Amino acid sequence: MKYLLALFILTLSTLGFSTHASDIKNANEIITKANLASYYSADDGSAQARMIIVDAQGNKQMRQFTILRKDQADLGNQDMLVFFSRPTDVQGTVFRVVKKVESDDDRWLYLPALDLVKRISAGDKRTSFVGAHFFYEDVSGRDPAEDNFTLLKTDDKFYTLNAVPKDKSSVEFDHYIVKIDKHHFLPMQVDYYNNQGKKSRSMHVLKTRVIDGFTTVIHSKVTQHTDGSFTEMQFRNVKYNVGLPDSIFSERSLRNPPKEWLK
Amino acid sequence: MLFIKPIVDFSIVQKSTKNSLLLIVSLFLSWQSLASNMEISEEGDWGDDTWVEEVASPWTFSGFTEAGYGYLLQHNIVDSHTSLNEITTRLNLDYSHESFDLIAKGELIYDDILSDLFWKTRELNIRFSPTKNTDVKMGRQILTWGTGDYIFLNDLFAKNWQSFFSGRDDQYLKAPSDSIKGTWYMGDYSISLTWTPEFTSDVYLTGERFSFYSPKAQDIVAPADNFIVQKTKEAQWAARIATNKNGVEYAFYGYKGFWPTSVGMTKTKNQPLQSYFPKMNAWGTSVRLPLAGGLFNAEYASYNSTEDTNGNDPFIANGQNRFLVGFEREVMKNFTASAQFYIEQTKNYDQFIAHSATPETEVKENRQLLTFRLTYRAFQQKLIYRLFTFYSPTDIDGYLKPSITYRYNDQWIFSGGANLFWGDKKHTFFGQHQQNTNAWLRVKAQF
Repeated sequence: MKYLLALFILTLSTLGFSTHASDIKNANEIITKANLASYYSADDGSAQARMIIVDAQGNKQMRQFTILRKDQADLGNQDMLVFFSRPTDVQGTVFRVVKKVESDDDRWLYLPALDLVKRISAGDKRTSFVGAHFFYEDVSGRDPAEDNFTLLKTDDKFYTLNAVPKDKSSVEFDHYIVKIDKHHFLPMQVDYYNNQGKKSRSMHVLKTRVIDGFTTVIHSKVTQHTDGSFTEMQFRNVKYNVGLPDSIFSERSLRNPPKEWLK
Repeated sequence: MLFIKPIVDFSIVQKSTKNSLLLIVSLFLSWQSLASNMEISEEGDWGDDTWVEEVASPWTFSGFTEAGYGYLLQHNIVDSHTSLNEITTRLNLDYSHESFDLIAKGELIYDDILSDLFWKTRELNIRFSPTKNTDVKMGRQILTWGTGDYIFLNDLFAKNWQSFFSGRDDQYLKAPSDSIKGTWYMGDYSISLTWTPEFTSDVYLTGERFSFYSPKAQDIVAPADNFIVQKTKEAQWAARIATNKNGVEYAFYGYKGFWPTSVGMTKTKNQPLQSYFPKMNAWGTSVRLPLAGGLFNAEYASYNSTEDTNGNDPFIANGQNRFLVGFEREVMKNFTASAQFYIEQTKNYDQFIAHSATPETEVKENRQLLTFRLTYRAFQQKLIYRLFTFYSPTDIDGYLKPSITYRYNDQWIFSGGANLFWGDKKHTFFGQHQQNTNAWLRVKAQF
């Protein structure tokens, strides 16, 4: 109820910005723009992130890491490196992803205590990212080609779309409803529903900031409705077009993190 | 003492388990209050909408205190019926400079089985890049490569089998060595060369914690302090060329050194037989790639026992061909399964049997091994169930490693598990360890 009220106030307060003439009618066009805004801002980027993971009993865990990303092409393949600094047992752990649009992503995890480069099988995209309520796919981006989208509603602030997965056996939800900001095209709220039609999981953007001309999510939250547990994620020190060289996206960076790009 | 080389040898503190338990409890209670204070301060930081700028210190300090207890579940001829009874405090201190990193990790261990308190340096190394395309790591370090899961072919770096059998954390399966590792990067290729000036063997079973089969005695033995092995101070070399072509990883390996376990017997006249590490060279190759929604790996290694190339010497192990294939995939959400098939072929097998004093208890020409790993993660990965099984259809024996790990929060981790060995014959690889079957518990507090 509280949330509905907040949303209502939010909607009211933004009524003034509506530009009906330029509304996009094609769902796929909206999703393409949303995908670009969410995961392909600039040609590369770096950011520091932290997550607070709160379970149903209120117990908290923290994760802190630095992300480096480089696009091979807009809406195409991407290289990504995630360097963990907290908690102490994952300090020095590095996660490397080659996100591939045409095939399964390549993923590796470097475990410094064993000096082990462990490759991770591609199947488990929708499992928890290091214990958080965010999935691997939430971090690297879900391929829009995996869902069929229909535009449900266009109001002054949002495009509201319904997404139905083409292969329901590959996911834990039945469908999801995404609200995409009409101005900067970031998905501001995503609600996942189970096959009983009940809301099972939600993602909310709590705060955005314009950095180097790109509207950027700097605070978001994923809630598991079945037990009230949630994860909040914050970003700081977000930089775009920093000129990350291709060569750092390799096994070398796992054992020897590229310090000059992690400041 | 093969298990540990104390660098700083403290005096024995407490001998009785009761006292050490008391020590554990008091340490943990004091830690608990410290940990809860830390949690509150973190909450404060998070409450503010902005980040609290961290002091950018080049030093990083962390560590943990862990207590472990394990018990042998069957009658065993070893002295102690506890297979694990220790409290470890780990200190990690790193220094990060623009042009180099210093890494220091060490542990203060009170081991009740040894009735000893001692310091053990886990890592002490410097890492730097002398040229744009070169990385060097010098000092005590952990070295790993290869594609096997608990099976090693081209990874001939030191392992700690005592830790593996006693239920210590997986990281302790890898023993450190004092080495220099250089890696050159050229495009998609990397060439690594490691030099260990003084050969570092595995930490093998001595009979102190676990008994084993002696071909000489033709029985299970637990010699402990009487288990004398002749050491070698010569160098060992290992090299790898690795590349990644469109997500397919290829690697070629070479090794010049010694067998990592003492598979030879000295034949000095008028002296009793002594175990030693015969010379061994190896080469091999591996591939790892995504396949059918999972991961496939294959690896081959050829071991050349250079002191017994034709296999006629019964006192020195024959060379081997080692083959491995493996597949892993997530079968259900949070549930991953993997399987491996491994063959260990003894070279010059006919000569080996012809010269053996005990041909009936020798290993089969093609020893086969099947492994299965099941991992299930529950409650946001806070609870992890693991089961690893080895099964040999040729030896008809096996080894089960079940465990449960519960991560209460970022400070406290609880785990329990077992090492279950079975086999009809006391001379086979896992069969000889049947009496070493044990169960263990560990509590870890991180800081």
